[in-house]
Amino acid sequence: MRRTLVLAVTQFVLWAIVAEVNHLLTDFHVFLFVGALYVVFAALLQPFRSGFASAIIGGLICDAHAPAELFGLHAFLFAAAHVSVFHLRDRIPRDDGTARVVVALLTNLALFLVFSFTQIHHSPAPGAAWPRLFADLVCSQVFVAVVASWFSALQSRVLFLTGLDREAFA
Amino acid sequence: MPFKRLDQSRPFVTLGLALAVWLLIPIGVKTFIRASFFELTAPITMTASYARDLQEYWGLRLHSNRELIEAGRDLARLNASYELSVQQNSELQAEIARLESLLRLPSFTEYRYEHARVARRDFSGWWQRIVIRKGRNFGIPVGAPVIFTGGVVGRVSEVHGLTAVVELISSPEVRLAGVVEGDSRPISFQGGINPTFGPPSGVVEFVPLDIVANRNFPKRLVTSGLGGVFPPGLTLGVITRLELSPDALFQAGEVKLDERLGSLTEVTVLVPLNPE
Repeated sequence: MRRTLVLAVTQFVLWAIVAEVNHLLTDFHVFLFVGALYVVFAALLQPFRSGFASAIIGGLICDAHAPAELFGLHAFLFAAAHVSVFHLRDRIPRDDGTARVVVALLTNLALFLVFSFTQIHHSPAPGAAWPRLFADLVCSQVFVAVVASWFSALQSRVLFLTGLDREAFA
Repeated sequence: MPFKRLDQSRPFVTLGLALAVWLLIPIGVKTFIRASFFELTAPITMTASYARDLQEYWGLRLHSNRELIEAGRDLARLNASYELSVQQNSELQAEIARLESLLRLPSFTEYRYEHARVARRDFSGWWQRIVIRKGRNFGIPVGAPVIFTGGVVGRVSEVHGLTAVVELISSPEVRLAGVVEGDSRPISFQGGINPTFGPPSGVVEFVPLDIVANRNFPKRLVTSGLGGVFPPGLTLGVITRLELSPDALFQAGEVKLDERLGSLTEVTVLVPLNPE
């Protein structure tokens, strides 16, 4: 429970930073999607239960700011991504920082595409919407590549400071 | 071996169970959870917004007295021209009221103007929303029209304690009836095409065949007043392209929206004085 709360606090920090960056990027009509960052660290390095719960909390934070009819979609997708990464984590060199970034990029790509396919039918011209989504995806992937290591280190550090790091590799 | 396989599938079983529980939760509980998470993040949104305002204030403090005097002079000139417009507007309002009573026409909805700062802009390829710094505490109702100097911004989609969420007209979810300026036949407008590094745009449908608009001769699209949400005559955008729709009975085309929608810092909510 404590571990889940600590992870959730770091997710609030991530949400606040990304929301502010997205606010500043609206002039350029660019949007950053960083869904994988809510999932990957916990899925690779944390026990299943707390990681799963934190992925759902991260999803609910994002859902609270999405249109009401989508409530639960982020949470479900993040939970599904967490389960998938957790299932594969023994086959991934998860202690290697580069591997974590690669997993984050692949997870973000998958989440973005699934989310886009669930939303594209709202657009009056789906064909015209894809170039924008592609540009958003490219910018998001660059952002995730830059930020993933920092966010992973932040979560590790916070877990260490709260005395939970000894259980981190359980 | 079967135990190991069962152990490996446990996360997927947990995911399935979580999904089943989620589907069984009543709508009221989901609404409560959503509102709770929104209110939990609201202080972050508000603090960031006030910090930006403070930053802007200190930025403005760096302006020299000479610049301020020049700005004051320009404002005085602008005020003088607005004074004249206000006088003309009062006369026109009186004329409308006289005609309404003569012809026994239903009067237009009256509004209270509630100005609000934009706390956060959220413009993805999937939706376009802003969060404003006024909510239930200022009596903002759901569905209220929101405008700015360039015309229509959108409508209030959610109201929270201290904030409200506005769905922009560039959002694919927004559909409303508009008319071409000087024409009375309603046409359908929908937002939703928001290219990167370009102005937002929307689409129009059911445009009568005799209306001609292109890049060289664009037509202004304004609100029709139908449906009772938006007052008539507010600018939605400019129709820059029209082509025959597949049924050949109407035209469909593209509407360029105001570029300033992407950098809004203050908007006005029209709060109906006598909501039905």
